[in-house]
Parts: sequence; structure tokens; C-alpha cells
Amino acid sequence: MYGYVRPVKGELKVSEYERYHGVYCGLCHTLARRYGFSCRFLVNYDFTFLAMLLAGPEQPDICRRRCAVHPVRGVDCPMSAASLETAADMTVILGWWKLADEAADAKAPVSWACRAACGVLKRHYKRAAARQPAFAEAVEMNLRALRRLEGEDGASLDEAADKFALILRSIGEGQRTEPLRRITGELLYHLGRIIYILDAVDDLPEDVARGGYNPLLRRFDLAEGKLAPADAKTLRAGLQLSHNALAGAFALMDEGIYSGIVSNIIYLGLPAVTQAVFSGQWKASAKKHRERSSI
Amino acid sequence: MNDPYSVLGVSPSASDDEVKKAYRDLARKYHPDNYHDNPLADLASEKMKEINEAYDAITKSREQGGGGRGGYSYGYGGSAYQSQGAGQSQGAGRAQYNQIRALINANNLAQAEAMLNAISTHDAEWYYLMGSVYWRKGWMDQAGQYYRTAATMDPSNVEYRNAVQYMNQGGQAYRPMGGMGDMMGGDAACNMCQNLICADCCCEMMGGNLIPCFGCR
Repeated sequence: MYGYVRPVKGELKVSEYERYHGVYCGLCHTLARRYGFSCRFLVNYDFTFLAMLLAGPEQPDICRRRCAVHPVRGVDCPMSAASLETAADMTVILGWWKLADEAADAKAPVSWACRAACGVLKRHYKRAAARQPAFAEAVEMNLRALRRLEGEDGASLDEAADKFALILRSIGEGQRTEPLRRITGELLYHLGRIIYILDAVDDLPEDVARGGYNPLLRRFDLAEGKLAPADAKTLRAGLQLSHNALAGAFALMDEGIYSGIVSNIIYLGLPAVTQAVFSGQWKASAKKHRERSSI
Repeated sequence: MNDPYSVLGVSPSASDDEVKKAYRDLARKYHPDNYHDNPLADLASEKMKEINEAYDAITKSREQGGGGRGGYSYGYGGSAYQSQGAGQSQGAGRAQYNQIRALINANNLAQAEAMLNAISTHDAEWYYLMGSVYWRKGWMDQAGQYYRTAATMDPSNVEYRNAVQYMNQGGQAYRPMGGMGDMMGGDAACNMCQNLICADCCCEMMGGNLIPCFGCR
């Protein structure tokens, strides 16, 4: 979706990297199995993280799967995991809404393509929404609220980020026990905040150039189209506080089968991505290259 | 109670030092400072109690009635929003502010916010408490703005000043993996120097000079 939630590959053990790869491919295969080939391209790192975070303590069955990208050796994927199915449903729901958003926002040729893709995916979206009604409702309600806020002058950065964060928080409601619901909700709320704010920082130069909406424009006075160093510092201190809350929630979770990889993503990946976004390197490195080099 | 060894994640054959190390690591992880005004503080405090009891049980069984933890009784006492001393009763009554503090402590944020919104005169305490409501909600940016206003309006108040300072330095959290990974970019200044020096090298190759070399003049 956004791709900000990813591990620092060099710090993963080889076995962890292989399992991470397996979950990523497993999500892709699950999307294909549950929704058909057209939904495969929605696979992303953010929901791979979610599939690992929500995974139960049991070791899943591993089977070797081949695909167009890995035709010869194939990849060992944990195909039986319930968390993969949940993550796949949610990928389709959020992916569809994101496309609908693009269709409304983008200029002519791109918006046509998005509208066409929306049409193709509509029936899959409906099936996914029937499987995850609470999540689909949270997405719809909060994205609509976010749209409304974009049109209002008084809306603050936190208020806008809150809407996106609430979408992620709603995922925690599916957990088994009350403490776990609270912990997962808190973790995902702050993850949502961080993603939303990083996305705003990342898009800032583009939004300034085309005069589009960006929540940072209402919060800070820009100097030559950029955040002033003092403002960037304030923003990063705020992100740090959210990261603390996220880490605090994660520390309260029981050890899971993917704890090592999830720790890497939380403690190393997020700070590294934040650094890259604020220094401008994130945008600079071509998206395609980034995706190919990471997995 | 669970097996104290499994609570600390060590085997019953572990040495005293290993037990102590495991206990200290966990105590660092669930330390109240990491859950400063955090909605999950109650769960962290339960964990802390659990590992304290486990450590006590192990030391007791090993030393036959001796020992104890020796100075590791971290308090989760609610020092957070107790009423302050004098000097804050201009805007609304002290009693009203104390009531709001109690609501914030009980995580009843909607009612605390409603009560604050009903107060028309906004003094430093009002801004501080509004900041606290935002903080608990996870609206960190707005919390910072309200804390800063409170501290500007009443610079002598230690509580407000501490809140601002805590925000500015990015709070505190448990970070394994060698304490790496911070969102503030602690080495940014260093990188900037490096970049500048690199830029200078490039420019010099192209005939420019970003950092003038005094010796060459």
C-alpha cells in the first residue's frame, strides 16, 4: 500500500529473511486463491507485516509454491495461516478504496485507469467486505471523514492522522482477548499515525508544486517549499512519541513465531524509513528499484 | 501463579547471575518510565508485578528466607495528574481542575475534554490539561502545542516545563537491538557535515569551492 513498513534486510537472520519472503509470497498466493489473479498486484509489505503481527503461536504448515516470479525453485509459504487470510481480505478492501481515491483525485489518463481497475475489482471488494464487515465499515467511515477534513480549514494534522490511524486500530478488534485487543489496537493506531505523517512528508514537494491538499501545509509555514529544520525536528519528535507508544504496546505482546522479524521492522525498519523520508532519499530512490531490491 | 522461571524466561538450572540478568532485562522493558501517561500502563504494571513476584519467589527459594530484590521495586504510583499546589486557580476553580485530572487519570478522555471545552477562560492549567487529554489520545503534535502554551503562560511551573522537555526530547521507550533505531535522526548533524564535505569535493573537481580553503588564498 505505502511500503513504509519493512525490515532492514541486512539485520535479519538468513532464516528470518526466508520466512519473511515466505509470508510475502504466501499473502500473494492467498490473494490469488481467495480473489483471483487480478488481486495479486495488491500484495504489499504493510499487510505482510500485519499477517506476521496477527499470526497465532502455532507453527503453520509450510508448502512450496511456484509462480511467474519464482518459477523454478518456488518459495516455502505458510499457506494455512488464518492471519494470511485476514490480511488478504483487508488488502483487497483498503486497496480498492485507495484506487477509488486515486480515481477521484488524479488527472485524466491515470484516473481512467484507476476507475477501470476499481470496476474490475468491485466484486472482489464486495466479497472481502462481506468477510470483514467491521474493517470495511471502519475504512469507509474514516476515509469519508478524512475527505471531509480535507475540505475544512480548521482541521489539524493530528485530527487527519487520527482518521487513518482509526482504520488500523479497528483491526485490533479481531483479537481473542480484551488485553490483546487493547494492545494491538494501540500498536496499530500509532503505526497508522506514523504511516500517515510519513506519507504527508513524502508527498509534500509534489503537493506544493501542484497545489494539492497536504495536512502539513496547514500546520507549518514552509520555507521555499520545504519544512523548516525546526519544524522537521518538532514533527520527528512527535513521530518518536508515537513510535514509543508503538514499541511500548509491542513489548506487552507475547512472543510470537515472527517476533524477530516484527522487532526488526519496528525497532530498525521504521526509524530507517523515517530517516530516508525526511532526508528525501525515499522519493529519490526509484520505487521499482526499491521493491526489487527488498525482496 | 505461573512458574517463576518461565515468567523470567530462564531454566531452573540457571545461575543466580543469569536469573538476575533476565529479571533486570524484563524490569527495563516494563519500567514505568516507558509507559509515561500511557493507556496501557495498567497492563505494563501487571507484568512488572508478575516478574517482581517471580524474582522474589526464586531468590527466596534459593536463599531460604533471605534476599529480596534489593532496590528494584519500581512504583507505578499515579504521580501523573495529582493536584498541584497553589497558583493555578485563576481560570476555573481548583476543584474543577482536580476533577478533570481525575477523569484523565481514569482514561475518561471524552468527559475530560467536554469539561475543558465548557470552561471559557483559558489559563496555563487549562492548556496543560488539554495537552494531557491530547497526549492520552495519541495526538502528539497537538499535545506538544498545548504543553508549550502552558509553559509559556506560566514559566515557573515545573510540571509544565517537564512536559515540554519530555516532548522535545522524544520521550522514553524500551529499545532492544543495541538501542539503535530512533525516529529523530540523532546522527543527522553528522550526516550533514559529511554531505557538505562531499559536496565540497565535487564542487572543487568542477572548479567551484563551497568551503573556502584559507590556505589557498
